[in-house]
Amino acid sequence: MKTIPTRLRLFFFCSLIGFTGWAGQHVLRAADPSVERFDYHKIRGRQAVGSEQRRHEGELDFAISGTSRVQGMSPFGQQWSNGAHLLWDGAVGQSMESSFEVDEDGTYDISIQLTVAGDYGKFHLTMPESSLSRDVDLYDPRVELAPLLEFKNVRLKSGTQPIRFKLIGANAKARKFNNRGYLMGLDFLQLVRKDPPPDSVTKTVSKEIDNAVPPPAKSFPADNTDTEQLSSSEVSKLTTEYCIDCHDGENKETEFDIGKVNELQAWHASPDVLRLMRDALSDHEMPPKDAKQPTEVQRTALIATMEFMISEYLRQNQTIPATVMRRMNRYEYNNAVRDLLQLRGDIYPLPEKTIRAFDPYFSPSTGQSPRVMLIGNRTLGKNQVERQILTGVSPFAIDLQAEGGFNNRGAELGVSPIFLESLLRLGRSIVHSPEFDGYCGLTGSLFSAPNTDNKEVISDVVRKRLKNLLEQAFRIPVDAPMLNRYHHYFAQRLQETDSFRHAMKDTIAAILASPGFVYLAESSATADTALLNGYELATRLSFFLWSSIPDEELLSVARDGSLANPEVLDEQTRRMLRDPKCHALTQNFARQWLRLDQLVTAVPDFDRFPEYYSRIGCEQWKFGLQMMIEPLLLFDSIILEDRSIMLLIDCNYSYRSDELQSWYGDETPFANSKNRNRFNTHRQQYLKRRLTDRRQGGVITSAATMTMTSSPLRTNPITRGAWVATVILNRPPPPPPDIVPPIEADDRVIESGGLTLRQRLVQHQDSPTCAACHSRIDPLGFVLENYDAVGRWRNEYNSGLKIDSSGELLGKLQFKNVIDLKDALLDHPELFMRAFSEHMLSYALGRELALSDEPGLEKIVSSVMTDRGQFTTVVREIVQSRAFRYHAKAPTIKETP
Amino acid sequence: MSVRKLSRRSALRGVGVTMALPLLEVMNNRLATAAEASVPRRLAFFYIPNGVVQSAWNLSEVGKNYTLSQTLQPIESVREHILALSNLDRIKVAGTDGHAQASTCWLSSAAPDELSPAGYPLKRTIDQIIADQTGHETSFRSLELSCNPYEDNRESIYFDNISWFGHGHVARSLRNPAEVFNRLFRIDEHANSSSVLDLVMEDAKDLQPRLSMLDRHKLDEYTDSVRTVEKQISRVKSRQADITKLNPQSPVKPWQAMRRDEFIQVMGDLMILALQTDLTRVATLMTGPERWGSPLNVEGWFEKPIQHHSWTHGQHNDNIRKQLERLDLFHIEQFVQLVKKMQAVKENNGTLLDNTAFMLGSGLSSGEHHVCNNLPTIIAGRCGGAIQTGQHVRYREGTPIANLWSSLAQAMGVNLDRIGDSTGSISEIGVG
Repeated sequence: MKTIPTRLRLFFFCSLIGFTGWAGQHVLRAADPSVERFDYHKIRGRQAVGSEQRRHEGELDFAISGTSRVQGMSPFGQQWSNGAHLLWDGAVGQSMESSFEVDEDGTYDISIQLTVAGDYGKFHLTMPESSLSRDVDLYDPRVELAPLLEFKNVRLKSGTQPIRFKLIGANAKARKFNNRGYLMGLDFLQLVRKDPPPDSVTKTVSKEIDNAVPPPAKSFPADNTDTEQLSSSEVSKLTTEYCIDCHDGENKETEFDIGKVNELQAWHASPDVLRLMRDALSDHEMPPKDAKQPTEVQRTALIATMEFMISEYLRQNQTIPATVMRRMNRYEYNNAVRDLLQLRGDIYPLPEKTIRAFDPYFSPSTGQSPRVMLIGNRTLGKNQVERQILTGVSPFAIDLQAEGGFNNRGAELGVSPIFLESLLRLGRSIVHSPEFDGYCGLTGSLFSAPNTDNKEVISDVVRKRLKNLLEQAFRIPVDAPMLNRYHHYFAQRLQETDSFRHAMKDTIAAILASPGFVYLAESSATADTALLNGYELATRLSFFLWSSIPDEELLSVARDGSLANPEVLDEQTRRMLRDPKCHALTQNFARQWLRLDQLVTAVPDFDRFPEYYSRIGCEQWKFGLQMMIEPLLLFDSIILEDRSIMLLIDCNYSYRSDELQSWYGDETPFANSKNRNRFNTHRQQYLKRRLTDRRQGGVITSAATMTMTSSPLRTNPITRGAWVATVILNRPPPPPPDIVPPIEADDRVIESGGLTLRQRLVQHQDSPTCAACHSRIDPLGFVLENYDAVGRWRNEYNSGLKIDSSGELLGKLQFKNVIDLKDALLDHPELFMRAFSEHMLSYALGRELALSDEPGLEKIVSSVMTDRGQFTTVVREIVQSRAFRYHAKAPTIKETP
Repeated sequence: MSVRKLSRRSALRGVGVTMALPLLEVMNNRLATAAEASVPRRLAFFYIPNGVVQSAWNLSEVGKNYTLSQTLQPIESVREHILALSNLDRIKVAGTDGHAQASTCWLSSAAPDELSPAGYPLKRTIDQIIADQTGHETSFRSLELSCNPYEDNRESIYFDNISWFGHGHVARSLRNPAEVFNRLFRIDEHANSSSVLDLVMEDAKDLQPRLSMLDRHKLDEYTDSVRTVEKQISRVKSRQADITKLNPQSPVKPWQAMRRDEFIQVMGDLMILALQTDLTRVATLMTGPERWGSPLNVEGWFEKPIQHHSWTHGQHNDNIRKQLERLDLFHIEQFVQLVKKMQAVKENNGTLLDNTAFMLGSGLSSGEHHVCNNLPTIIAGRCGGAIQTGQHVRYREGTPIANLWSSLAQAMGVNLDRIGDSTGSISEIGVG
């Protein structure tokens, strides 16, 4: 089969972004400063149930600043909502300043619940954006709830709503607090929507259904249409002048040979080479900065010629890349067994299911991510994994991610004798584990013997049960020979064991080890590209969204063929996104997409960063176990509330434990703690926090990302840059060359020489071969230099040297600091929306993307852009895409002896 | 019971694998009943990732009286059993990752154009080619072990496996000693599976005609595995009495709690046990995966977690190189300990070591520039007389290491005309 060398392949993959999305347009338009930046927080496809009546808890939903702090009120009684309020103290003339979020423009009745007590003051309450104001006296000899303050028909705009309580004096009977001033307490603020909310319109996916008809040839970006295409000799003349010196096949450093394909005819057959050249040219990556440069007219003409040839190629080659059949990975196997046998939970604890919710919180039907969650970390946490769930049941070895991809690709998911042994053992150990009967929802309906001695009746019952189960397990219509086979096996086991239950369990164990169950098989395509049959499409869909097998409802539309109808398919997609099983998109997709596993082995130096470690018993635990949860909970909230994926770039809220909050906010985190039990390693309360500092928020600047992309004794800007390029932009840098000059492992050593890490790294890239890549990758790491090796903000280096975080994004967008970088990404949302769609499409398909995926991606990205990155739009468009619904005729492969 | 047997038994207990009976007696019983009088030959590989520091490794003199280099000092005590080889090369595959191809191509010398869908050249590796023949007679056709201690999945399978059934089909290594133990010695693990295998094989036959050619190949992995496991089950059952008598006990410590040297020695012990009890005749043991940039503790040798891979790229710095040399020395010491353990196992005509070729090597000679010339290569044991040990041989520059694969196959009784880029054989190794 056709294969591409890794290096070329990586270039090829990273250049996906470059098609007409933006790189084809040569230069990104600078953001127009007069146009206000869109606030992606406004995108919310799902409203909380009962959102017309929304209570904002003082201790949870209000911004905390100054002397404000949370006070638990249970010592004073049960009347406080959520058992706590937001407490503030100050001197007369000072104000308690805070704010809360309003989801939608509208007219509301507002009621505010305050607390009264003996040392509470008189306040002037204002909400500057709604001209609402009132004076209140919070004195009362008892500690009690104040009379409810009510305001009718207040117009509120969506977004952040400031609120101020100015201390204007005190009741004569009130006593002073700490001899300084007076207190106030805010329990909650409740909004009741008065005008009807706008219809929550369910958008339909792109009407124009992408069927087998070849899509039209790609039209050129507007500013290319006028450009003449070059003739073969003109192209040859230009490449000879600007490229051939290095790319002649002789120069070992480049490995990229234009010489051999310096004919347009030859290029026609090498679209991947064309793509590399187009992207290198449009990114101004080539020729290198110190080499002779073509004029802009020449460059534009070359790019346009290549664009034309690529689109010609795509028009003539409407193929979908073949996918190698794969087996389930162990995450999927667990889910599939759980769903098939209706188990109460997992069959084994998997470290890759990072989030361990002590109170299940992931319920899309509520339309809202909870404000408080009790969570442990299975990957890194204490005693989270070793304990078996079912006695004697252990998973097979972890399936590793494909390079630059996910752990769901056929090439990497092999079956060996050892794997088969585990599979056989697993099936047996699950059904025969002592806990199984109490754990399985089918104990009565599947495993109990029918209450009769009539052999025929028993036989009929067994056949009926097996038929249903086999259909769900194998995702195919069950024919007579298969049913007979399993029935025969059952009868044999019944004879041997003389126990209906035991025989049925053995039969189920066999099903769980069968290739029909473990493989995601698709029948051979009859044409070059063919629509998947209903069962196959259902299987793709359920493994994409749930990492599991289809449920009965999905199977029923697969069975009757209606799933082929795009509207039915979309309806199912939306239904499945409302099922808690889609938590797999966080646990499996997001975890791998963000490369969060790398946090497992991150080891910040023990002496330099002692606060990263907590000693419990005789073991050291890492703070990474709390960091790792934060980006995943953000992802959860985007799914649950159907928000914009742009919040992954910049977001005004986050979910953190108190300890994690201290990590970001305090000079010395956990200042009063010793190395023993320094932080909690078991489970923690994660609360929704409002973020006002834009240096925080989103996944890039999260402590998890910053820590796992650092070395023990310093940050690692190249690793960070490569992470941003790969994860955020889906332009993974090519693998490093064989010769890599070393850089000191400790930044203190570097700084003692008067150099910053950045200056030291730049010294090392004097060769143009190095500089060509590094000038693209490194700035994306340098801009994060203000975050130290464990993700804490620093204004300057330890030695006092200044941090230079300026740079440019992909050679085009300038930035001075991380907020500029976030703004650049928000101003050019197509960059991230495309990259995210590509990652997710590749996950959905279980394969690497190829050139022929570009037209389909174009369509997905344009809908995602229209919907401002709304999460469900990304998923629904991927499901509707041709690449998802069709499959290709696989090439025949040559036998290797 | 001889003193030697006792000390061996306590040595095993020290690292966690204990035995109720001295193995020798069991072995003798079995072999006495076997039709053949000769003791089988065995082949085992000991893999070091990321290459070695060449300057501290290379030997200058050839012949019997060569001076040991700094890194190879520990082999002094066993030098009469060692054949050291220089100037053996692997084909470097341009355009694919230097480390992944070190592990994927080392034992196959796969040509650069044998690309798998994932971009790596992959071929059936020499251990599997030999196992095709030797595996007919043993319970397990081969044994693949990796002392990969990492719990993150930073790298793909190409960095963590040196044994391949073929194009894109990995012979996945086991990392957990307890699991290895159960696989080898727990009879009930293998019980009761045969009728299930018939059933699932029928399912595979049902599935096969619906699939494309590409996917049929993928399904072959499954059906091949079923056939292997089928044979395994019947052979394991036939050895049931031996193993029950042996009554081996599983390693006590969980592998996560083992020191680095303990981990390697326990895996080595399990490998030796499998070889000496003739449960298999071919084994590979990786001391760690290629690259895998995650820091690692080597207790007693380094105070802080080491960074093997990044050190290899920094070795022109004197301090870093010294650390790296120390790590190479650590690996040699681990190897020599296992060699001595093999030497302590008596067999009819000598020791286990005498009947084994136990080869240490790496897919890179130096990790600094991902060089594949002059790969570190040391063989312990005479493989039943096929190998002339006690010397250092330097080959003509550019001699393919594939010649060694071909010779080792011959020593194991497998005729192989060519493998990879082989051009001949190694004269110090023969049929014997």
